[in-house]
Amino acid sequence: MTAYLLAIGIVALIYCLLALGLNLQFGLTGLVNFGVVAFFAVGAYTSGLLSLQGVPLPLSFAAAAVLAGLLALPIGLLSLRLRDDYLAIVTLGFSEAVRITIQQESWLTQGVQGLPGLPKLFASWGPVSDAAIFAVLLGAVALVAWGTVRLTGSPFGRLLKAIGDDEAALSALGKDPARFKVQVFMLGAALAGLAGAFYAHFITFITPEQFIPLITFYVWMGLIMGGAGSVRGAIFGSLLLMVFLEGSRFAKDWVPGVSEVGMASLRLAAVGLALILITLYRPHGLWGGGKSQ
Amino acid sequence: MTWIEFANLLINGLIEGLVVALPALAMTLVMGVNRFPNAASGDLLTTGAYAAVAVQWLLGWPLWAAALLGAVITAGVSAGAYRLIFRKLAGRPMVASMLAAIGLGFLLRSLISFFAGHDQRTFDLPLVRAWNFGGVRLLPTDLVIAALAAACLAGVFVLIYRTSFGRQLRAVADSADLARASGIRAGGLMISLWLLVGALSAVGGVLLGMKAVVTPDMGWESLIPAFAAMVLGGIGSPVGAVLGALLLGVVQELAVPLLGPSYKLVLAFAVLAGVLLLRPAGLMGRVQLVR
Repeated sequence: MTAYLLAIGIVALIYCLLALGLNLQFGLTGLVNFGVVAFFAVGAYTSGLLSLQGVPLPLSFAAAAVLAGLLALPIGLLSLRLRDDYLAIVTLGFSEAVRITIQQESWLTQGVQGLPGLPKLFASWGPVSDAAIFAVLLGAVALVAWGTVRLTGSPFGRLLKAIGDDEAALSALGKDPARFKVQVFMLGAALAGLAGAFYAHFITFITPEQFIPLITFYVWMGLIMGGAGSVRGAIFGSLLLMVFLEGSRFAKDWVPGVSEVGMASLRLAAVGLALILITLYRPHGLWGGGKSQ
Repeated sequence: MTWIEFANLLINGLIEGLVVALPALAMTLVMGVNRFPNAASGDLLTTGAYAAVAVQWLLGWPLWAAALLGAVITAGVSAGAYRLIFRKLAGRPMVASMLAAIGLGFLLRSLISFFAGHDQRTFDLPLVRAWNFGGVRLLPTDLVIAALAAACLAGVFVLIYRTSFGRQLRAVADSADLARASGIRAGGLMISLWLLVGALSAVGGVLLGMKAVVTPDMGWESLIPAFAAMVLGGIGSPVGAVLGALLLGVVQELAVPLLGPSYKLVLAFAVLAGVLLLRPAGLMGRVQLVR
């Protein structure tokens, strides 16, 4: 039971990390990233492949964050000069392009067979390795949360908020919003890459099928449930998401006559319905009320 | 590549382009009028294909009648979604409509896979042999698909450019305020637009299903190509969307000998990125709609 709670705790913290990255991008700066899973996948595969070559995990984790962040640069430069919705379209397309490339380039990634047998983080600690992973992830989430709060109050953070509020006014003041947007986009992507590395070295077996666009919208669902723009919202929303994802697994026992596959369909339906209902009726999060962030 | 191979790929690319042009045109109409990229377009296409499959299977109707009823059902779903969701999000930031469209897409796809399963479905079509012109092959079915797609596109263009409905629609797309000031009632117009968008996507789904197979993911997989076609043609330009789809279809097909069929979607993304880098306004678009 403890092992199970620890495992879902770790996955919840990984979603927290993803949501905090998206919160920097969307919540603070208004960048609509529909390709969160692309940077998550790049991080997971980067760290996974490097570790299989014998690279020590601290280095492979750093490489995962750096590569995911760097990949965000061309995407950001490409679309951030244009209207908001282009970034959404481009990132969504990018995430599918990344998944298919991972699936096809089997000389590097072993394609659909995936990468089994990745080294587990803190494997040498034996029975307490999961607890150690949980503790390190908790530290990382706390650090990012603290950093985000600090950032919000800093001159850079105020700039980001101003981009979200009124970009034209900011340009008129002689600032270059596009540059800041690209920087934040890269930072959020690096966090997703880091989350990917944690995921790869906790699950120890990654396949392209784990990186479908649905993951992106799980993160979105968590963020908008909690209320985009606030660190507390991103974290509580991700925990709520985890309760939903795990809860829907048990729901199978109460709904008789529905197969495993049917249950997956129903879960997808619930995610779709949640996205619609939250945007319609709770735009500032489930407990956000009507006030603007 | 010999010219015979080239001709075969070109023909196939044009036919696929004609089919993708239907959802691309539907998406462009919504983009021009409601100002958001409708990510549910792909799943409306799937809905149309499955509605036709269900009608054919349950009622035993011939394909043309099943497709027609499928289009009517999908048009209803589309207009209902507008009435219940997108109309209420009209004044809100674009991301609200985009997220809701993604949600609607998930909802449609999940209902379809819940009731119909993940197995491939096919339409009952007569098996016919391809015509062979000295190596250049032409399937009669493909010719029918191309003709139907072209007829549908022509019909939509007549609607847009030759009727009072189209004139009002173009007025709203140009300037919603000016259109309202001129006494155009947006409410009924929007319902008609979304009925049209649903029917157009549904026909695209049936034609795509006739060309290949019907699966719950078929629409999602054609979403990125339809986006790319829309951007390539220039956002908000109906003629551009069709030209973009044809060009993309040909490029994707000509690249198959080099990259293999799996990379089609990646190529669509590359075209999308290339257009945004070199000419964000696309072939026929206006720059002020882009920035």
